[in-house]
Amino acid sequence: MRWRRDWHAYLFIGPSLLGVLAFLLLPMVIVFVLSFFHWELLSPPTFAGLDNYRRLAGDGESWHSLWITVVYVLLCIPLQTVLALVLALLLNQRIKGVRVFRSLFVVPWMATPIVMGLVWNWIFDPRDGAINSALAVIGVTGPDWLSDATWALPAVALVNVWQYTGYNMLFFLAGLQGIPQELYDAAATDGATPRQRFWRVTLPLLNPTMFFVMVTNLIGAFQVFDTVFVMTNGGPSKSTEVINFKIFGTAFREFDFGYASTLSMLLFAVILGVTLVQVRFFGKRTTYDMS
Amino acid sequence: MRSPRIRELRHAVTLLAAATLTLTACGSGGDGGDGGGTGGGKVTLTYRLWDDQQKVGYDKVMAAFEKANPNIDVKIELLPYDEYWTKLTADAVAGTAPDVFWMTPSQFPEYVTKGVLADMSPLKLDTTKFHPTVVGSFTYQDKLYGVPKDWGIVGLLYNKDLFKKAGVEMPASLTWKPDGSGTFLETARKLTVDEAGKHPEDPGFDPAKVKTYGFASWNHYQTQWMNWVNSNGGKLLDKPFGKYTFNDDASVQALRFGVDLVNKYHVSPPATQTNPPTGKVTDMFKAGEVAMFPANNALLPYVAPEANFEVGVALMPEGPAGRAVNLNGLSEAVYAKSQHPQEAMKLAAYLGTEEPQKLMAADGYIFPALNGLTQGYVDYWQKTKKLDVSPFVEESKGTTFPLPVTTGFTGFETKLNQIFNEMYLGKLDPKQAADQAVTEGNATVK
Repeated sequence: MRWRRDWHAYLFIGPSLLGVLAFLLLPMVIVFVLSFFHWELLSPPTFAGLDNYRRLAGDGESWHSLWITVVYVLLCIPLQTVLALVLALLLNQRIKGVRVFRSLFVVPWMATPIVMGLVWNWIFDPRDGAINSALAVIGVTGPDWLSDATWALPAVALVNVWQYTGYNMLFFLAGLQGIPQELYDAAATDGATPRQRFWRVTLPLLNPTMFFVMVTNLIGAFQVFDTVFVMTNGGPSKSTEVINFKIFGTAFREFDFGYASTLSMLLFAVILGVTLVQVRFFGKRTTYDMS
Repeated sequence: MRSPRIRELRHAVTLLAAATLTLTACGSGGDGGDGGGTGGGKVTLTYRLWDDQQKVGYDKVMAAFEKANPNIDVKIELLPYDEYWTKLTADAVAGTAPDVFWMTPSQFPEYVTKGVLADMSPLKLDTTKFHPTVVGSFTYQDKLYGVPKDWGIVGLLYNKDLFKKAGVEMPASLTWKPDGSGTFLETARKLTVDEAGKHPEDPGFDPAKVKTYGFASWNHYQTQWMNWVNSNGGKLLDKPFGKYTFNDDASVQALRFGVDLVNKYHVSPPATQTNPPTGKVTDMFKAGEVAMFPANNALLPYVAPEANFEVGVALMPEGPAGRAVNLNGLSEAVYAKSQHPQEAMKLAAYLGTEEPQKLMAADGYIFPALNGLTQGYVDYWQKTKKLDVSPFVEESKGTTFPLPVTTGFTGFETKLNQIFNEMYLGKLDPKQAADQAVTEGNATVK
């Protein structure tokens, strides 16, 4: 019955559905299956049972990579989210040239990660780079950034914050503009201070936006790869060897596709867990429908 | 012991994976080198390479081959270097690799041990006609698995203007010893100047404010420390497809010398500026901040046209064990499962003959692997850039060594670079670094 009525719809989603199946769901299923196999790519896979998972349990390097990734996420997400929100609040005002600013802040998001990484490599150069030259002016000797095991990860995180803040700002801006002015007027009438208005009106009403931004950003941050690839190659001394970089190396440099699949499953499980926690956290809070 | 169900599953997975990889391959533009149509008795071969400059030369080469073999069409596929290897692996898994393609010494072990490359014995090539290091790089269990194509060799590029300004002559022969004696370090010191005009041995020299460095010593295995190791009598591998051995005394001495050039003698820029992947030694040389810079001749097209000073080429320094320079060969490999094995072998054999190799040399692309054809390349650089590249040729006639040919190198490379980055930073002693690297490396050998 429904098929008869809706077949046009299926026809229209057909091509993209095919794409999702072939390039997203199918590879995911394959990765899951492969995680139970030994496969060095050019020779046929052999069934490994739980070998790869046992190996993972005792593989300190991979857990270290996961830990590095968590630290990276913690460095990126809070900073990026707060900055994006502050920017959105500022750009939600009626000031001159606001459109130009809005566009400018989104530019980093459009930059190719590889090109961006190369440019930042110059900026982080310990001797001639912009950052250390600026620090030298105020009499501070900057660290060796990308050659320093303490600073390399924060440096990479900073680049990603720079890249995604403007993009997230767009979502917050859209969220802010969806909040009816009457609510602010009412709050002002009741004598609410600007601070109270932010915490009691703006933030609660931004809940759906916040949920979207947090979920997508956390997923993205856990999957960081390109900036690490260009800027540090996982070094110095594995201090930036995030889990996705480890997966890439295991698969395409060591040709160990079985174990790389197992590592992918680990990352998948972590992301799934973190996302479920967020769904519960945001689900418990009230969402106001303003439509 | 394996149950039928699991066997079935295994086949299913292989098929699925191959299918996905093929799909992905299609998605990225090529048609996966399907061996071509056979309509009208004509055979289409796929020839794959990664160098867009050399492709211009190969267009001519293939036209000549097609003229002599009217029943064969050759389709050239050009891929960027990184994508080249990913796609080649994927195609080999799917059984659709190109018929003939380029192979490097560091990737060779992976592909040859897994049966992707065809044995060249049927061609009955006279291997003595090719450079022995190139032949050695593509030999596995006494059989040749690729027609030697060309070689690139490390030589010492130098900035003639900086030499003139410092009033220094390039010695006829540069020599080095682990204790710091010899003409090489002496020359590098004379060319190293800080902002106050002082040299490293002068009192009050400030290593943090160097204007020009005499030399670039950095973490690059092909052009740097492997050459120090070999010219000091150290050994990288015990035998082809063997175990790494570069933690012996002579190797560690040589590694220490390379690091000392940076951190003790201060004639080279600090590792914070040169370590891969962010290092920019080539840019520093081009900017006139470094006087002597070991590089493979393949880098010349990227350096010579952009340098606003006169570039010179000199022989690499001689160590206690003489001069030993890395010579990196390429070969034309034939896919073991090619749909048209006879035609593919015919093409590979042709590419190893004088006509095409001479053409590639005369257009200044490469030094041919076939002996006696280097003059074309030398003439090209003399004529177009007034650059005397004959020292590269002289080096190739002396002691040369290949990159350590063994399995697992592609996986080891990242780890090796990370460990040696620490060594060049002075955070890890050369002995410790070498021990660590050798242990890691040997764990990847299969």
